Amino acid sequence: MGDTTVSRLGAYAMVAAGGLIMLAPFYFMFVFATHARTDIFRLPPPLLFGHDLPGNVAILISRMPFWRNLGWSLYVALFSTVLTLLFCSMGGYAFARFEFRFKQSLFALVMGTLLVPSFMNMIPTFMIMDALGWIDQPRALYLPGAASAFGIFLMRQFVATAVPKDLIEAARMDGCSELGIYFRIVLPLLKPALGTLALITFIASWNNFIGPLIVMRSPEMYTLPLALRSLQSPVGTEWGALMAGSAIATLPLLVLFVLSSRQLISGLTTGAVK
Amino acid sequence: MAARRRDPARGAVLQVLAGGLVFVLGWGAMVAEARDTLVVAAFPAVDAIVQEALPAWHARHPDVDIKVVSRQFADHHTAMTTALSTASYLPDLMALEVGYVGRFARGHGLENLAAPPYAAMALADRFVPYAFHQGMGPEGNLAALPSDIGPGTLLYRNDLLSKAGVAPAELTRSWESYIAAGTRIKARTGSYLMANARDIKDILIRTDLAAGEGLYFDRDSRVLVQSPRFERAFELARQVRSGKLDARVSSWSNDWSEGFRRGTIATQMSGAWLAGHLANWLAPETRGLWRAAPLPGGAAVAFGGTFFAIPRGISASHKVLAWELVQMLTLDRDLQLQAFRMHDAFPALLAAQQDPFFDAPLPFLGGQPARQLWRQLALRVSAVEVHKQDAFAEEVINTELDKVLDQGKDIRVALADAATLLQGRARR
Amino acid sequence: MRGLRLSPGMAPYVLLSPFLLLFAVFGLFPLLFSLYLAFQVWEPTDGLAAMHFVGLDNFRFALGDAWFWKSLRNTVWMALASGIPQHAVAIPLACFLQAAFRQRWRDLMIGAFFLPYITSTVAIAIMFSSLFSTDFGLVNLGLATLHGLPGLSWLTPDHPIDWLGRPENIKPAISLIVFWRYVGFNMVLYLAALQTIPADLYEAAAMDGASHLQQFRHITLPSLRPMIYFAVTLSVIGGLQLFEEPFILTGGRGGSDQAGMSTAIYLYRMAFDFNDFGAASAMSWLLFFMVAGLTWLTNRALRPQGPAQ
Repeated sequence: MGDTTVSRLGAYAMVAAGGLIMLAPFYFMFVFATHARTDIFRLPPPLLFGHDLPGNVAILISRMPFWRNLGWSLYVALFSTVLTLLFCSMGGYAFARFEFRFKQSLFALVMGTLLVPSFMNMIPTFMIMDALGWIDQPRALYLPGAASAFGIFLMRQFVATAVPKDLIEAARMDGCSELGIYFRIVLPLLKPALGTLALITFIASWNNFIGPLIVMRSPEMYTLPLALRSLQSPVGTEWGALMAGSAIATLPLLVLFVLSSRQLISGLTTGAVK
Repeated sequence: MAARRRDPARGAVLQVLAGGLVFVLGWGAMVAEARDTLVVAAFPAVDAIVQEALPAWHARHPDVDIKVVSRQFADHHTAMTTALSTASYLPDLMALEVGYVGRFARGHGLENLAAPPYAAMALADRFVPYAFHQGMGPEGNLAALPSDIGPGTLLYRNDLLSKAGVAPAELTRSWESYIAAGTRIKARTGSYLMANARDIKDILIRTDLAAGEGLYFDRDSRVLVQSPRFERAFELARQVRSGKLDARVSSWSNDWSEGFRRGTIATQMSGAWLAGHLANWLAPETRGLWRAAPLPGGAAVAFGGTFFAIPRGISASHKVLAWELVQMLTLDRDLQLQAFRMHDAFPALLAAQQDPFFDAPLPFLGGQPARQLWRQLALRVSAVEVHKQDAFAEEVINTELDKVLDQGKDIRVALADAATLLQGRARR
Repeated sequence: MRGLRLSPGMAPYVLLSPFLLLFAVFGLFPLLFSLYLAFQVWEPTDGLAAMHFVGLDNFRFALGDAWFWKSLRNTVWMALASGIPQHAVAIPLACFLQAAFRQRWRDLMIGAFFLPYITSTVAIAIMFSSLFSTDFGLVNLGLATLHGLPGLSWLTPDHPIDWLGRPENIKPAISLIVFWRYVGFNMVLYLAALQTIPADLYEAAAMDGASHLQQFRHITLPSLRPMIYFAVTLSVIGGLQLFEEPFILTGGRGGSDQAGMSTAIYLYRMAFDFNDFGAASAMSWLLFFMVAGLTWLTNRALRPQGPAQ
């Protein structure tokens, strides 16, 4: 018994130390946000909070419509998340629990879209958005990604484990419609995976900069990553303002994460899946 | 002002009418009535320079707004490539960094400013010569006008030199004396002569070019790297590295700025604008300790520079306005000086260089009136032929240099290997 | 309403229609465009009309290009060195967190391990170039301290390591960062999958006297299999398209001797730095087929079979 206690304590200590290492850069991001760029470039870098946050935020606001950019980021990420959850759970369910013609080739196609480096699509994507008149439109950011191959893949995997075939058959016997089965039986069972997908989609949309780089032509329509990148140049980047902007940009993700990690846990405690 | 604002529909109609009018009346017509917007695409800090020129612009064109679209440096040039490739959503005016000007000038997406109605070749003698010629394409077209330049200079720590008993003239007389001085500085102060041995190579391959030679290729795409120019560049870089005279750090890294602050790097060869960055944020605490000198051995090269170009695919009326704005940004002495004062953007306009501001002592450089020196250095730089594969060639040469410096690879073998790789690409 | 009822035969098509529509508009055209481009030479600033057909020239060039193969070797190296530890750590970690932590503490640990995934890349770039700095960085400072300790000096180097300047050190440094960034992400995936394993399975096994290790081998691992397949596939795809981390750490160039130049970085440079969109497209299709092949192999090796499917 004593032996297991020791090894257990060791394991706790290792995991805790790992957690601290994981946290360090995150901590420094907030520390750097409160220092002028002269101090950030010092070595060793500042380890404690400084007094330059107001100055950094002032530079940030003078260089870009920061709060507007933040608003667009939120808007795009929310739409993107809602649509992705809907479309991908539908698609994933179809791939996992139905037999239909072209199923294998369609799935290969889905996976195929995951495999193309996104910057190779820059010019053709620009041409499509131009043809649709979607340049400078937020929908050009949240619609194309809404049927994300990643999401369909995740959902297919999850349905395969968490949605028993018998349950669907039984519902069909009871006269439940196909869409009824999807909304009333499949979706509730997918709750933990939907939480995961929501988190990942929101973060991906939040950090996406190639998308807005292609379609956004006006600084007041930029989302945050593109706006913040515009502070960077090979010489003379405003590092302090950049770190302040990055830190503020991370706060919504932090809130979202705290909320959705609860959801993961509740998925466990209520024993949603039998 | 408020009374002049019109409802959007009417504004659009007027815009179309005004555009048609300009088309009919031809060049030189003033666009006075419509509320119009010019889009300028730029990167930091050019975006700020354009913003600061707006009051002057609005004094002339109260009805034409200017919208500055700023992106990160590389993002900006990527976005410009995309816009030119599809010829849609083009800005009316684009800033281009010198490294991209040659490439963009090879395509046909930019207005040829040498042709009428611009006839900008007549403006040649108003700019620093090399800067003007760097905006020209291979077919004699003029793709862009220069706004700021980066005359190469040697910045050195005067205090470290005194401590080591090295006279400033020893740094600049020749490359050999520069390295010899570095050995003494290292021995007596412990400080490195320079940040990275690669800096020497970068300058030497840019000096003593024959007419019609580019850096790596000549006009007929023949590879030039197996030449005395490259051998000497590699040889001197190797001497620096093997004498442990370089700090082996790369520019704009934390180690680099920390090296300046702690005085572990005694000299830096760069564009004149670096003095401003050192003073403002890289190493403000070293104020008064630095001096500026010409590059060793009378080398004359440039570091960086900004140009303005007009895309071919925009409307005729906007071309008129964009051209006027280009002229303001590049030919207006006061605006050029303002950009120099606020952003260390060294004027490409010769008239701006005659301002008394150029005679003022620089406190960061111990009161030295260094701008006079830089003004002279800029005149000696010559334009370099640009080849499509220059970016790739630079990467290959840097790789081979690293092998020479770190793994003791023979210089001739290294250059022969580079030549083989480059020959495979020269005509792609 | 009754008339609108979907038959089970039609249902999958209706469920898939949003994907198919969006894919047809935004997925297919770029794919075909880059396929077309792979057979052209093109000066992009000249406009779309400037393309010239060159047949298989770009593919021939790509296959004979030493740097393309070098970038592939780099990519595979870094994908393995960052990918294998990610899963080897994330699976036990997820199980440990699930089994041994109370809810509040588990929340906290999940948070700590997941944060790298949401930290902005700009912040990461500055942080790590500062940590890996040769003369003043904390990594070398730590190694030097270890070196001073008795008994450890043979394990640790006696001089500061040039992490981001020497070709032999760049790949390990990048792999470490990729591992750091995604291990928590994988852990969350595995935690989500652990939620679906019925608790009575473990109870029954415990009653039969199975040890923790046996339970892990015979219950946890098989149940995690679909998620392992999923997560490993993502790692394969992500690893072979590795771009952001080496890009920011090497200033977008790939590092000394291109040691940190992944294929994706090379493609990007071919297109936007070296102005060769045709060759870049040809290479991206070659990369596409390689990733597809490897994904297929992952599929063969790890695909959920039997009762799960």
